[in-house]
Amino acid sequence: MVDQRIYEMFREIGRDLYVANMISSHGGNLSIRLGDRVVIKRRGAMLGNLKPHDLIETRLDKNDSGVALASTELLVHRTVYMTTPALAICHCHPRTAIAFSLSRDEIVPIDNEASYLLKKIPVVSEEFASGTPEMAKKVAGALQNYKIIMLRGHGSFATGQTLDEAFFWSSTLEEACQIALYVKQINEPFIEYRKMSESYNKF
Amino acid sequence: MSGWAEKILDIDLSTLTYQVYPLDMEMARKFVGGRGLGARLLWEMVGPEVDALSPENVLIFTNGPLTGTGYQTSNRFSVSTKSPLTGTILDANSGGFWGMQFKKTGYDVMIVRGRAENPVWIEIKGGSISFHDASDLWGMRVYALTEKLGQNNNKRNVLCIGPAGENLSRIAAIMNDRERALARGGPGAVMGSKNLKAIVVEGKDRPVIDDPAQFKFMLYETRKLLAASPLTSQALPEFGTVVMMNIINNIGALPTRNHQFVQFEGAEAISGEALTDNYLVKNASCWACPIGCTRISKTDKVEGEGPEFETTWAFGAQCGIDDLAAIIEANSLCNDLGLDTISVGSTIACAMELTEKGYLDSDLRFGRADLLARCVEDMAYRRDLGDEMTEGSLRLATRYGHPELSMSAKGMEMPAYDPRGMQGQGLLYATSNRGGCHMRGNMVGPEVLGLPKLIDRFQVQGKSSFVILHQNSSAAIDSLVICKFTNMGVADEYFARVLTAVTGIHYATTDMIRVGERVWNLERLYNLREGFNRQDDTLPPRLLTEAPADGPSQGWVVQLEPMLKEYYRGRGWDENGVPRPQKLAELGLADI
Repeated sequence: MVDQRIYEMFREIGRDLYVANMISSHGGNLSIRLGDRVVIKRRGAMLGNLKPHDLIETRLDKNDSGVALASTELLVHRTVYMTTPALAICHCHPRTAIAFSLSRDEIVPIDNEASYLLKKIPVVSEEFASGTPEMAKKVAGALQNYKIIMLRGHGSFATGQTLDEAFFWSSTLEEACQIALYVKQINEPFIEYRKMSESYNKF
Repeated sequence: MSGWAEKILDIDLSTLTYQVYPLDMEMARKFVGGRGLGARLLWEMVGPEVDALSPENVLIFTNGPLTGTGYQTSNRFSVSTKSPLTGTILDANSGGFWGMQFKKTGYDVMIVRGRAENPVWIEIKGGSISFHDASDLWGMRVYALTEKLGQNNNKRNVLCIGPAGENLSRIAAIMNDRERALARGGPGAVMGSKNLKAIVVEGKDRPVIDDPAQFKFMLYETRKLLAASPLTSQALPEFGTVVMMNIINNIGALPTRNHQFVQFEGAEAISGEALTDNYLVKNASCWACPIGCTRISKTDKVEGEGPEFETTWAFGAQCGIDDLAAIIEANSLCNDLGLDTISVGSTIACAMELTEKGYLDSDLRFGRADLLARCVEDMAYRRDLGDEMTEGSLRLATRYGHPELSMSAKGMEMPAYDPRGMQGQGLLYATSNRGGCHMRGNMVGPEVLGLPKLIDRFQVQGKSSFVILHQNSSAAIDSLVICKFTNMGVADEYFARVLTAVTGIHYATTDMIRVGERVWNLERLYNLREGFNRQDDTLPPRLLTEAPADGPSQGWVVQLEPMLKEYYRGRGWDENGVPRPQKLAELGLADI
């Protein structure tokens, strides 16, 4: 039985993701690691309107009956937990970031906040970009070096110690991409304000 | 290879000889340096048959790839040994300048083994190692000795023991740079048992950095992050670590009168604000540290470094004392005599409770600030009751028939966070490999300060995951070696990148945390080999059964059992707390 505190955390972050336009009605997912177990959104549940029974607890290292109910992306979540120090994962569909991911292999923010917090977000590409072992391996591999990555054309995967933290990286990425989009639309010469900004590309 | 000097200096005091041989670089890659490398070497050298105070025990001084590079707080070094206080594996690390200077001598590791026939001190200077007679120095206190041996912060640095170490106090510290301490678990007694009074280092080799451009960038970014964090740029410089006093008291997690209560009515009088307003001369920094949490305090009787939060609590709330001047003076005395302030303060508190409950005949009572200095002296010189107290609170309380009044885990006195108000901290103390300690993955970050984000301090389910991560992270940081306060503003991913820039070996964040997990499991194996088991992963009964009657933690005891079960599973250990073979293989420890 999942603790009430944990349910409330999922409900609040799920609602915030929906309100922030970072998921569709049934898109995205959230999970946390509890020792050798994972708590993840139930398949088909609405993150913006989670009920206690929408949280599924299952083992990290092997299947049990919980997998019949878990999110399609359980495999990638498990792989990330098995190969990184993450304790929480936020997967969402930030629209501007997805748009940028379709034309580049990395997103290097130019605004102060995201430069400061994220430095660079790699974009990984996978033909079957949902729920496959290949995708899980690529996403988990990239998350060994970065706390948030983009899966081309699909969405972001962010890790943290808490859902709160993983959501923070996700919303920071989307904000950075919106600002970058506005800069493109304004189409005026960029005035660099950061020292050693060329190093962000190598982060 | 950059980052490491690739050399071990191995000194045998029994023969007053030394050898220099290459560091096993595969071992270095896996255990990095500091605590990790020390644990790996100790595993081979000191088995369960060795008494901690015998010549067969060793002192392994280590620095790390980041030590001396100039990266923020890269001043630290470590000592590993078997603890005479707990019988567990022990490492203690310290700041100041000595670690940076040690790195410049061109060694990654210095092993000290055996026992000198007569007191000696060692000088490492310009590539030569010399042994000096210390007969005339034996008995000297730390401040005078440090000055006599020529302490000069950036050129020549002194590490030594005081009378407490000479007298084999099980809570004796090794001191460096006058007032910095390798404090916990009694390493000073091990040094004393070897008749080794001091080690003086003068180096000239500058550490090599593989990718200076990337290193410079990480230095710049780290500076920005530390400047942006109010904790590292304002709270710690202005109030020192004692800034925690009011915060911890307000949430009902400040152990008071030997953990009988969780809030202290005199907290304000011994707070960081009170220290700054009434006794602070200035703040100071260890080498390459932009934070500057060190206090230079002054009373009518003493002037010097400190006190830290833990010290202020140990002599303060834990002893029911709100006389800050007396606390500053007791701290100074501990530094001069070479004692661990946490264990000293908490042992005095234990004696106070034993006395008040009628189990011990002494004049000690909670609130008796006037007795602090005498107690400290008596413990250092093993006078009167001090002879029993200097063995630590568990041996003291056991001697008087009430071991439950020792506020310790695995025999080491716990620090200034009562786990009834911080459930994760309880699990942390119970599972710490060196005993009750907050430097093995302090949960004050997530449970109190919101680092990186605030979690519910009373939550039990899932708490083990945070404890495991923070334990692994702290073991990694202790292996670099840098100060954990840097981690209050800078995430682990930065350290991995700095380590990569310095060594030229790619360490992903995951790799670095995996180093910490490897170290943690090796330490666990060491303790299992020493005979520790699941029953030792526990806390004093008071914390498991006596709930605070009021305040913000009212009604809470530590819910240890469910957290411990979840912890073992999360670590990949069996139900008895033994690492499974699969976990050891995964960590590259299958040969252990």
